[in-house]
This record gives sequence, C-alpha cells and structure tokens, in this order.
Amino acid sequence: MTLTSDNKATNTQELITATIDGIQMQVPKGTLIIRAAEKMGTFVPRFCDHPSLAPVAACRMCLVEIEGMPKPQPSCAIPLTEGMVVKTQMTSKVAEDAQAGVMEFLLINHPLDCPVCDKGGECPLQNQAMTAGRTESRFEIEKRTFPKPLELSTEILLDRERCVECARCTRFSEEIAGDPFIELLERGAKQQVGIATDEPFNSYFSGNTVQICPVGALTSSAYRFRSRPFDLVSVKTTCEHCAAGCSLRTDYRRETVMRRLAWEDPEVNEDWNCDKGRFAFGYLKTNRLTQPKVRNLDGNQIDALWPDAVDIAAAGLANAQGKVAVLLGGRLTLEDAYAYSKFARVALGTNNIDFRNRDHSEEEQQFLGSAVAGNHNSVTYKELENAQNVILVSFEPEEESPIIFLRLRKAMQKGNLKVTAIAPYLSKGLEKLNAEVVATKPGEEGKVLSGIDIVENSIILIGERAAAIPGLLSVALEVSNKTQSKISWIPRRAGERGALEAGALPALLPGARPVADASARSEVAKVWGVSNSKIPSEPGLDHSQIIKAAINGELKALIIAGLDVLDAPDPKLFSEAINAVDFVITIGVQENSLTRYANVSLPVAPVTEKSGTFINWEGRPRPFGKAIGSTNALTDARVLSMIAESMDLDFGLQIIEDLRMELSELGIWNGSKLEKPQFESKEIVDFKNDNVILSTWHQLLDEGAMQVGEEHLAGTQKSSVAYLSEETAKQNNLTTGDLVTVLNTRGSITLPLEIIEMVNKVIWIPFNSKDSKVKQSLGAKEGDIMLIEKGKV
Amino acid sequence: MSVKEITAEHIEELEVLAAKYPVRRSALLPMLHYVQSVQGMVSPKGIQTCATVLDLTPAEVAAVATFYTMFKRFPMGKHHIGVCINTLCALLGGDDLWKELTETLGIGHDETTSDSMFTIERIECQAACTVAPVMTVNWEFMDSMDPAKLKELIEKLKTGAPVQSTRGTLITSISDSERLLAGFNDGKVNDSPDADDSMLAGLRVAKERNMTAPIGKGVR
Amino acid sequence: MAEIPQMMRAFGTTFLSMFRKVTTEQYPEQKDQFPPQARFHGRHQLNRHPDGLEKCVGCELCAWACPADAIYVEGASNDEERFSPGERYGRVYQINYLRCIGCGLCIEACPTRALTMTNEYELADNSRTKLIYEKDDLLAPLQPGMAQPPHSMIDDFVAQDYYDGKVKAASAEQFAEIEILKQKKAQD
Repeated sequence: MTLTSDNKATNTQELITATIDGIQMQVPKGTLIIRAAEKMGTFVPRFCDHPSLAPVAACRMCLVEIEGMPKPQPSCAIPLTEGMVVKTQMTSKVAEDAQAGVMEFLLINHPLDCPVCDKGGECPLQNQAMTAGRTESRFEIEKRTFPKPLELSTEILLDRERCVECARCTRFSEEIAGDPFIELLERGAKQQVGIATDEPFNSYFSGNTVQICPVGALTSSAYRFRSRPFDLVSVKTTCEHCAAGCSLRTDYRRETVMRRLAWEDPEVNEDWNCDKGRFAFGYLKTNRLTQPKVRNLDGNQIDALWPDAVDIAAAGLANAQGKVAVLLGGRLTLEDAYAYSKFARVALGTNNIDFRNRDHSEEEQQFLGSAVAGNHNSVTYKELENAQNVILVSFEPEEESPIIFLRLRKAMQKGNLKVTAIAPYLSKGLEKLNAEVVATKPGEEGKVLSGIDIVENSIILIGERAAAIPGLLSVALEVSNKTQSKISWIPRRAGERGALEAGALPALLPGARPVADASARSEVAKVWGVSNSKIPSEPGLDHSQIIKAAINGELKALIIAGLDVLDAPDPKLFSEAINAVDFVITIGVQENSLTRYANVSLPVAPVTEKSGTFINWEGRPRPFGKAIGSTNALTDARVLSMIAESMDLDFGLQIIEDLRMELSELGIWNGSKLEKPQFESKEIVDFKNDNVILSTWHQLLDEGAMQVGEEHLAGTQKSSVAYLSEETAKQNNLTTGDLVTVLNTRGSITLPLEIIEMVNKVIWIPFNSKDSKVKQSLGAKEGDIMLIEKGKV
Repeated sequence: MSVKEITAEHIEELEVLAAKYPVRRSALLPMLHYVQSVQGMVSPKGIQTCATVLDLTPAEVAAVATFYTMFKRFPMGKHHIGVCINTLCALLGGDDLWKELTETLGIGHDETTSDSMFTIERIECQAACTVAPVMTVNWEFMDSMDPAKLKELIEKLKTGAPVQSTRGTLITSISDSERLLAGFNDGKVNDSPDADDSMLAGLRVAKERNMTAPIGKGVR
Repeated sequence: MAEIPQMMRAFGTTFLSMFRKVTTEQYPEQKDQFPPQARFHGRHQLNRHPDGLEKCVGCELCAWACPADAIYVEGASNDEERFSPGERYGRVYQINYLRCIGCGLCIEACPTRALTMTNEYELADNSRTKLIYEKDDLLAPLQPGMAQPPHSMIDDFVAQDYYDGKVKAASAEQFAEIEILKQKKAQD
C-alpha cells in the first residue's frame, strides 16, 4: 500500500489548523485530507490516490464527511483548509457507509478469481474489501466478463474485468513516463483501459503500472502465475543494470528470483524504476558458470576443483613475471573492482588495469581522475529536480539513464527547467523533456558547447560517449569552469563509477590518487601493508594499449573479468589479443564467447548472490546485501584472495567487511589530483557525398548481455531503424521505407530508413540492437566516417 | 466492405483543421468528423493519422474516438438514421418509429444494412421535443414523424429521390454531413427554413403575458 | 477374609470377559472389515471435473493454510496445454507426508474443491523421498467418461460452466483431441 514520504509534502511552510476525527492538527497549507489523516495514523481506504500522481478522485473510495458540505467528499482531492472539520470512517457513520457503498459498486463486476490472480495476497482491493466492504454480496445477477487477458504489450497483460478504473496506470504513463500509450477507452459502464489498435504499450516504464495497479488488472507476462506473495522473500537490493542506482525489491522463492519491483527511495528513484531493471534478471539463470574450468595439455577445457584451478591460475600469473594486464567490465561492484585494483598492484606489480570495456581515451582518464573521482555528490537527483538549466552532451537520458530522464521530466513539468541537448536530432525522449536541441554532428559537440550561451549555475550532464570525441571532455571542463556550472559524468554501466573510485585505471589508485604521485603511493602502500616500491610509479597501459601490447606479444597473461568481447571497443582486436596471449584467466558469472579461450575460467557470484556496493552517477554509495545465499558462489574479491594466497601473498580480502574497512581506511585523497585534460578537438575534414558521420547510442532495451532470456521484455524493444536528414537522404537517392546500408572496411549494417529532422551528413543507428550491432559488424565508434548506400532486400 | 484510404490530400485538409485552433489538439473532434466523412467510419488508420497530425499518441486519439458515440468504428451506410428514444419522443411514437425502422431494414442499433445504404442508431434527446417524435437523417432533423412518413422516407432515400429535412437542407449523405460537422462550410446555410410557429409559440405567449424567468437564489 | 467375595467378583469379571466378543482388529489381515469413519482425514486427493480436467488451479491457498508447511505448489498458465478450466493450473503439487498432520485446513482453504481427503491411512514407507507425494500420486484416477488432460474445455463452455456443474462428461471432441495428441507423440 502506498504511503507518503516526507519529501512529497508540499513546499509551503505556512501552517493551517484543522480537525480530523476530533483531533486538532497543524499541517502545511495545501496538504490533502488523506495525507493528513495518514500522518495521524488513520488510513482512509483508496485506490486511485498515489502520492506521486496528481489527485483525480476517480475511484471515490476515500469519501469522508466534511462539516459544512452536504455530501461526503473525496479526501484524496481536497486540501485541508483553515478550521476544516473532517470526520473519517473512524468517527463518522456517513463516511463509513459511503465507503461501504462505493466498495459494493466496485465489486459488482469484479470477478471472484482471487485464487488465480497474481495480485491475490497483496491486493489493496482484497484488503479494503475486508475492512470497508460488506461480508456478503447483494449482487445476484451474472457478472460482466471479458476474454482475458488482453495483451497491452508482450510484457504487460490487462485483465479488464478486474479493473476498477482508478486510472493510476494511465496517469502514470502520461504524467510520469510521458508515454500515453494506454488510455481509458469507451465511456460509462463500458469504460476500460486500452491501447490503440496495433500500438502496443511499449514504454520503458510500463512495469511500474503493474506495481501501482491497486487490483490485479495489470500483470506482467514474465511473472504470471509464477508464485504467490506469501511464497516470496523480499530483499532490498540495488539495480545492476545502469548507473542510476535504483533501489529494488528483489522477491525470490526457493533460491530463484521471481520478480523485482521498485523500492521507494525518495533521494534516488522515488517510486519508480525502468523495465530493464524490473524485468531483466533472466540472465541470472542463463549460461551460468558453476564450475571452474582449466585447459589441459591437449588444449581442452575440463572441469576442475577450486584449489587446482586457483593454483594453476597463480602459477600462470607467476610465469608471466609482471607482463600481465587486467581488463575489467563496468559491471563489478565497488568492492570487487577494488580487489582487482589491489591485486594488479600487489600481486602482479602492474598498473595495467582498466575498467573501460567501451570506447575510451587518455583524455577521459584525465577527466575522470581530475573532475569525477573522489568528487562525491557533485550533482544529485535533487539538484536536477531543482535545476534551471541542464545541458546534455553526448547523453540521451531516456535510453542511457532512464531515472535521470524521469527526474528531468519531473523538473520540466514543474515548469522550472530548461533542457538543452547537444545532439544530432530531437529524439522522442528529448521531446518528452521539452528539450531544445542544438543540432550537432558527432565530433563537433565541443565546438558547439563552447559556442552556445550557458547561464551561470547550469548543470552539464556528459555521457560516457564523450570519450569517443577527441577534445570534448577538455572543452566541457573549461566551459563548466567558465560558467560556474557543475558538470556530472553519466556512465551507463552500474559499476563504472565504483571501479573509478577503486582505482581500476592505469593512472589512478583508489580514492582518486594519481599513480605518479609518490605520497599517494605511499599512503596506499601503507594501508596495503606493502613496501612503497611495490606499487609501480609509472602509469600502466589502458584498455586499448593493453590490447595492442598483447597483440604485439608484449604481454604474457591477461585477467579478464566481468566482460564480454562483444562490448569491447574493437571486438576483432580483442579476440586477436586473447589469441596472442599465452595465459588467459576469465572470471565471470556467465559463459560467453571469451570463456572458451580461457586457460582458467573461474565462476563468480552475480549480484543476487553476494553483498556489495554500486556507486551511482551521483557518487552515492548504494550498498546491498546478499539475497540468495545457498549457491555458495564466491565473489571476485574472494577468488582473487585465493589466487593471492596461492602466490604466498597476504592479500586479506576474504569477506566484504575486510573490503569495506580497507576502503574506508583509504578514504579519499586530498592531495592534488590528475591534471585536467587539455586535448585539441579534431576538425571534421571534408568528405564525399555518400560519406556520413556515424552517430549511435544504446537503446535501453537491446541485445545487451544482461537482457538475455527475457523474451517478454525483448518484445517491447524499439524496432531498429536508421535516421537520416531529408537532404542527406536525397543526396543518396533514398526515401523513407528504403533499406539503407552503412558500411566501412570491416562490414555493414542494413536497416530500414526513416527520414527525420536532423543534422545533415549524419546517420544514426542503434548501437547494439537487433540487426544493428555497431561493434560486431562495423567495429566503429561515434564520429567515424561511414559509407552509405541503398540496401538490398 | 473496403474502407477508403486516407491520402495526402486528406492530410492536407486535416492540417487546415488543426491550424484553426490556438492549441492544435483542440482540432481533434472536427478532425475525427473529417475522417468519418472520408472513411464512413473512424478506422484505426484514421486514428493513427489524426495522432500523427496532432503529435498525440494513437491511444490518446482512440480515447476520444471511443468516448463519443457519434464516431463509429464500423463502416456506416450512405445514410445515418437516428430515432430519439428518450421519454417524450418515445411516448409520442418514437418507440413505434424504432420498431418500424428496425423491421423495415432488418437491422438493429448501430448496424448497417448489407447494401451499405443505412446505418441506424437510437439517439438521445435532440432538444426538439416540441416536434416529437423526432428523427434525424444524417443529423438533419425530420420532425413530427410517424411510421407512414418513415416508410416513405426510406423509400425515397433508397431510390435517391430528393428528401428535404423539415428544418434543414436537402438530404445528401452522412459523408457530406460529417464534412460539415468537421467545419468545412457547404454554403447551404440559407437553404433551411426558418423556425415555424410551433417552435416560437412559447416565446410568443410569454411575451404576450409579460412573463419573465423566475429569479433564483444567488442572482443579484 | 472379608476380601474373598471381592476377589471372587474380580475373577468373575475376568472369566465373563472370556466369552465376550473380541474387539481386537487384526491388521492387516482384517483391515477390510474395519474401514475408518468417513470423516477420517487420510491421504489427500486432487479431484477432477467430470470431463477429466483437473480442479486444481494452482492457487497455493492450501500451502498457505498448512500449519506444518507440508504442501508445495507451483502454478502455471494453461496457455499451451490445458490441464484445468480457466487460466491457471497447478504444475507442481507436492505433499510431504512426513510433515502433514492431517488437520484438513488445506481442504477447507481450497476454493475449487480440488483438494479433498480420502480415508486412506496407510502412509508409511522406507524412504523420505517416497513420502513426498507428487501430483501424479495425488490425482484422482480417471473415471469412465473422463478424458486424460491435457485437452481443451468442452466446446462453447467457459470456466464458470465447470464451476456451475454444467459439465457431465468429456465430449467426443475432447476424446478425439487426445487421440490426435497421442498419435502425434507416437510419431515423434
């Protein structure tokens, strides 16, 4: 049941005095009766009321008696006024009867199918029918029935006979998500929630409607009939899908996650989360590695016992004698990333470690080391909500950080926010933010950013894609300095910010300490209990340098953890590197294309089976506990400790408490940070007519590794299309509906073309969607110059 | 029966309607009437088109299109015939008219004859109780009807003989009426007869007797 | 000497009882002669509708009601194969007779009368796993006129008709359907 949190009270602090049930109270002006009653401990029954949605008084369940008013009034829509005397069902027969009457009407056509209903057991209608309803129905004729369920999308099912027309779902879709794909259709007794013909409810936030539906009318295909509420054990967790850091409620039964819900957190995700966070957890059970594997002398991978596998790994690393590098994905927890960071320095004696398994640059490292690492709470969700001006650079909120999108939308609706996006076109998501787009070719963002007028105290949100554009991050820092605007870096993956703080970069130690700084090194060495000389003073190789060095035979061993080759900046080079290296250790949750190259493959625990912390884009730690314990899967840190032990090192990171203690002991560096990046932008050179610049970013729902095994969710993906401006299309003799092929020397992608209003000479395609896998097919990045031609069927 | 496609020309006319209003989405009702004049119904494609023109989602348009009973989601015949079934008309012969109509055409409420000539509908009060029982043909009034007149009316409409509304213009088709409802002037505003004595009798008597409306509470 | 008459009376009672009818039941030789009372809470049974479809909808209310946590149920959708009328059926149904205390709260909780208790009391075995009864062990045997699910509901019938008792026996179509299914399976 929905309860109000303090942050949702009205802003005005002017107090008024009113009486509810004979108790005089002072509340801020504008407080709704239902909220005030709730505060004093009286729960007025309700369905349509939701603290995050505007009042509508649709269900009439919350009727109360107000002195001086001829009839009972809906308490969810009337604010208390000075001297108002209200009687709820606790003291008023009128209110009690009115509520009982409404309940009787609501139940007339409500089916008696609670035993088969997914909501049964946690259903406000069920509960309130017990508290506010009659014991026996007086309705004797047949109830109205509908064929059920109606598929609103592949993920959301509607059971029309259960609906009480509270309009929570439709209001959520319109007010919060900005996706009014569901509406109340028909009228009067026939009124029903529905979609337009052939226009499914494919909103990224559709799952929230299932959660706020006060009856079982909206259910999700994925959870349908899988369990009952009383089977489930609920644990508060943190979402591992993006850097938003949503609080989730993970419900599991018999050691299997059954569903995930948004856990209310006013500071972060409020009452909501996105469909990816809610529905994409099938990967936990798909292609899971459970057994260590080692390659035997014949070159075959065979199952091994943990001690053997660990010894072989340790021996392999010792053999490499420092010619080792560690490649991490961006999905590790802070603690695990820290363990790798320490392991690389202490056990391997190298700074060759990088968490950026995506397009990256030296400029980015400097940017992160100088402006992001150790800079906790630079910009917060709250600040976004109260901001006047937000500038988005290389960042598409709805696709790349949906909770930021929701918060920006909330701010925009309050009427105080102006969003300016430096992007090639006005996307649907930006449209919902009422954003102004400065149409920009990829590569020219820096030039545009320094050219536009920026009001002082704006907020600049810069996405991880900025790393692909030379000079952009340097310019962004300069601009933010000049305009006294805060700048915040928005990575996509959940573990990136944590890995940064953990020092999983070639030039950074934990706590934003530069490797090159002797006193920083000695601070770290002291905590680690090693001699100062143990930590190499020279910055190591970054991801792409590691790949290059491996191919050139300069490295002997690689530790690859929590990543898939398909995400790599260049999958082809990545594969070459793995083949060139003698000894590869992969540490991961799932089996993927990498694990079969491994000399030693070690399975570790996914987020549900360990505790840890994600640091979200704000720099806010989001710790979570272990949900499922019985699998005995090990954390990355534990595995590294075992390897270190086998190498006769006192590593000392066996349990989460060790890690957290060491991290807090290290704290944040207050000496001088990395130098600010000062890189030159590249001018876009003239190019031929059939050449265009590639613009691409991830869709929220795509072919990502952590969305496998979720067919229902996959059904709500956006279809893959390519965008061109009218002029560019005309120059290449293309029109809407044609197929267009984007190609380079590596390969090609063919997609249906849509002509939209956008900057000329640029083609936009999805980054990792069906039929459009930029890295796999093209090995390209944003800003690259591509050839286009008419596609063949 | 195939429903007529909405073409680029139609979209141009929809744009004309949308441009009439300070807030474009205000044009949705006229636009749906327009779609109905083109298609003889509001089809999913029609809903989609309105949504595209107004930058709404199809669901938002569908919510409006399904709310109002004047928008049909099945193909209408050439003529739309309504019979008022509210109390006064019903008592004064409306029920008989409805019975006659359904028996003659062999169809029921919101149904279309197989030859696509007629769609019939039970309609609510048309605010013309003075001339009850009231019928409408393509939303033009046919006042003071009786079963015999109804039979004749159907015959005429079937054969295409001219039918004059008692208070409106010559009956053409529902398509033309819908176009008018959409806001495209058909230039026939002066073709209708003026109000007759039965309409104005009350006003005349009130004036003769110097009657005024009672002054209610709260009126200054 | 005053005790003698008392002793005689006592021996008399013993002596007389030698001619009374014996109440000892010889189990298992004579168990048929002494059936338990009809009200006895024996092994559970999952009942069927008259056309063979299962009454269980997998709602788990029995599991919820069980004070001994002896019942485990998993529901599933009837989308692909139909086992019960309506949308949902019990895909997994287990009763652990090492835990069951025979209280009968489960059958009171059952909203479809799918779960009832038989009079069968011979619930002993030589392994723990054998005493976890699966759905197959609990389902009522097919009576004449019933068709083995999965199969469709009777044509033109909805779930409500099943609950209203309108179904009397499986239809010819239902038998034909499972025949086709059988042949298909044989081919595969």
